[in-house]
Amino acid sequence: MSDTSTFEPKIVAFVCNWCTYLGADLAGTSRLEYPANVRIVRLPCTGRIDFNLLIKAFEMQADAVLVSGCHPGDCHYTSGNFHARRRWMLFRDLLDLLGFDMRRIHFSWISAAEGHKFQQTIAEITQKTRELGPYKLYEGKPAAYPQFPESVMPLGDFSTEALLRETARKLLSEGTVQVVIGYGERGPIFVSKAEDADKLVWNRNCLTNLTAYLKRKEIKALGKAAIVVKGCDERALMVLEQESQIEREKLHVIGMACEGLGLPKCAGCNVRQPRFADEVIGEAKPAEPIDHYAALDVLMAMSSEERMGFWTEEFDRCQRCYACRQVCPLCYCEQCLVDKNRPQEIDTSPTRKGNFAWQITRAFHQAGRCVGCGECTRVCPAGIDLWALNLMLERSAEKNFDYKAGMEKSALTLIGSYSARDKEEFIR
Amino acid sequence: MSEIITQDLLRACVGEWLAAGKSVAGPKQVSWNRVLYAHLEKPEELLLDLEAHPVNSIKEFFFPKHEKLYGYKIEGNDVRLMETAEALPEQVVLGGRPCDAAALPILDHVFNWDYKDSQYNARRAAATIVTIACTTHDDACFCSSVGLGPAAERGSDVILLPFGDGSYEVRCLTEKGKSLFAGKTTQSDKTAPVYAGPEHKIDPAKVGAFARDHFEDTFWKEQTLACLGCGVCACNCPTCHCFDIVDEGNAAGGYRARNWDSCQYPAFTQHASGHNPRGSQSNRQRQRVFHKFLIYPEKFGEVLCTGCGNCTRNCPAGLGILRIATEISHG
Repeated sequence: MSDTSTFEPKIVAFVCNWCTYLGADLAGTSRLEYPANVRIVRLPCTGRIDFNLLIKAFEMQADAVLVSGCHPGDCHYTSGNFHARRRWMLFRDLLDLLGFDMRRIHFSWISAAEGHKFQQTIAEITQKTRELGPYKLYEGKPAAYPQFPESVMPLGDFSTEALLRETARKLLSEGTVQVVIGYGERGPIFVSKAEDADKLVWNRNCLTNLTAYLKRKEIKALGKAAIVVKGCDERALMVLEQESQIEREKLHVIGMACEGLGLPKCAGCNVRQPRFADEVIGEAKPAEPIDHYAALDVLMAMSSEERMGFWTEEFDRCQRCYACRQVCPLCYCEQCLVDKNRPQEIDTSPTRKGNFAWQITRAFHQAGRCVGCGECTRVCPAGIDLWALNLMLERSAEKNFDYKAGMEKSALTLIGSYSARDKEEFIR
Repeated sequence: MSEIITQDLLRACVGEWLAAGKSVAGPKQVSWNRVLYAHLEKPEELLLDLEAHPVNSIKEFFFPKHEKLYGYKIEGNDVRLMETAEALPEQVVLGGRPCDAAALPILDHVFNWDYKDSQYNARRAAATIVTIACTTHDDACFCSSVGLGPAAERGSDVILLPFGDGSYEVRCLTEKGKSLFAGKTTQSDKTAPVYAGPEHKIDPAKVGAFARDHFEDTFWKEQTLACLGCGVCACNCPTCHCFDIVDEGNAAGGYRARNWDSCQYPAFTQHASGHNPRGSQSNRQRQRVFHKFLIYPEKFGEVLCTGCGNCTRNCPAGLGILRIATEISHG
């Protein structure tokens, strides 16, 4: 980078067809000169601009990325840009946590009448990027593992096992349900006979979020189900209902009051008592509240370089076993993006580039949806700190939109809704 | 008479090997709740006296999760192929368990029965395997059921037998092993105690025979309903060796690589037409049992399993080979 004078940055601009593209057109027909460093990719609407495209651009050696569309209120499709604005807000926070250089990601509203603004924006971004030098994937040494705050791991008592068995027996013998999805001695079990109800257990090994089974066709085929949930699992049920993935009235929910399974996620748990179950077994005392986001502060106190070093070390261990996806109740796509291979949108190779692309995709698809059940982190064989990605998006949703997934029954989904008053200080 | 080394001296050896430019791999704490076999940068990182088996296996150092096969460059109508294999440093794989080491001769068959896989063989040739015998076992261990044990020597160049006081009896089994430890050990008249392995849990022949006779059987569905379809079992299995071939790059150039794959993924058998001969998760689980206890044994005369218990220990849904094989053996 010794000769920044000869370095010409590549800038990829993802623009909407109706405003910014016409703005660029106007700049052209008005003979306004702007640097030739920009490559414009025209898309129907900013609402269509998938975050994966931004990552892809960086993967393909873009030095900076611009996303630009119609001013609020001007969207050709009424609200595409409002939806986009919400997503960018969350996405920026995720990229920041990962240690991306936020000086290389730009957002703007440029209308069809703003040829000048297009010219100026491109000139500014080009100049700024020229000063920053070429963008590179992190090549430094991994950062030292951060000192996360010590977490308490509360462990409840599990004296309600007999009651659970009794409940299951009754549901099965009376024919209310055909199967009870619950925990057995060695993991999840599916009890369809009343006499097998004693195979159900309730103890500290009841870790799996069983709602992940509701998406599986072989489980659906078992008939009307009762499902055993803890308060944390129940939040996932609520999101699944919001997203029309389950018919709640066709499901019998057995809520287990839970004072902790001895996991870090159990500290400060505010859903120990299930709230929307058809029946709740036991009673749980509320937990001492804690600062859930303290661990994020530790990461955000690091420099962005160090953060990327930390994530590089974490993601380098990823084996692409996809356990994080498979155990997640909210990863229910019939075909995951990463499994699409015509064309291959995300590298399936467990390289640094491929793993970043996969982990960003997985995390961001949970934005405003993740209920913090922590299953992805628990099952990751490589021990990747996936919780931190989820937590960042949770904090972003809470801070910017006062939203927490799976807490309120009547809430709209975060990404599927918008407000005209959403923040936009980061947009030019 | 026996040869002895203390843990401190062993660590000092690691330091020497690293300083000499060798690559050294061994058990390492990679996060608050995970120990993996990984490349070591400092001798202090080596974890000894482990109570449980690390999550992964040592196959990674011979058959990496991502490996370049060759590169290509396209200029006009001209396509050029290029070697991508990099020079391999000498490698010491230290602290694996007998169940990890025993998987290597098993993998050797696969990578050499027809096509001789030069990259796999080069990694094998460059490596010395220093195994540490087990003193404990857990519920998932079943090495004794597949003909191995806490001090099985198969696949190792050196086996270290713990005295339990921070020192090991060093048994060099090959020339490679002897030269690695030449001059590093002291002589003693003690010999290390032999520890009891896990009790006999499954009968591999019975599992194979059951598989042969029960291709279509409700057993598979009943036993595998809880399977969520991830690849934890295959990725961390010392003997699972299926891979996918991918091209990484663009129209100007790039490389062809192989990545670990797993029979538990639907895309593993998906046809271009959309048809999938193993359309359900129970079919895919059945395949894993078949390959380990019927298909591989028919071809190579031994089971494709070393009883390490990784699939059972790490399964998010509490399944694993041991659970299914136990059902068959005692059911």
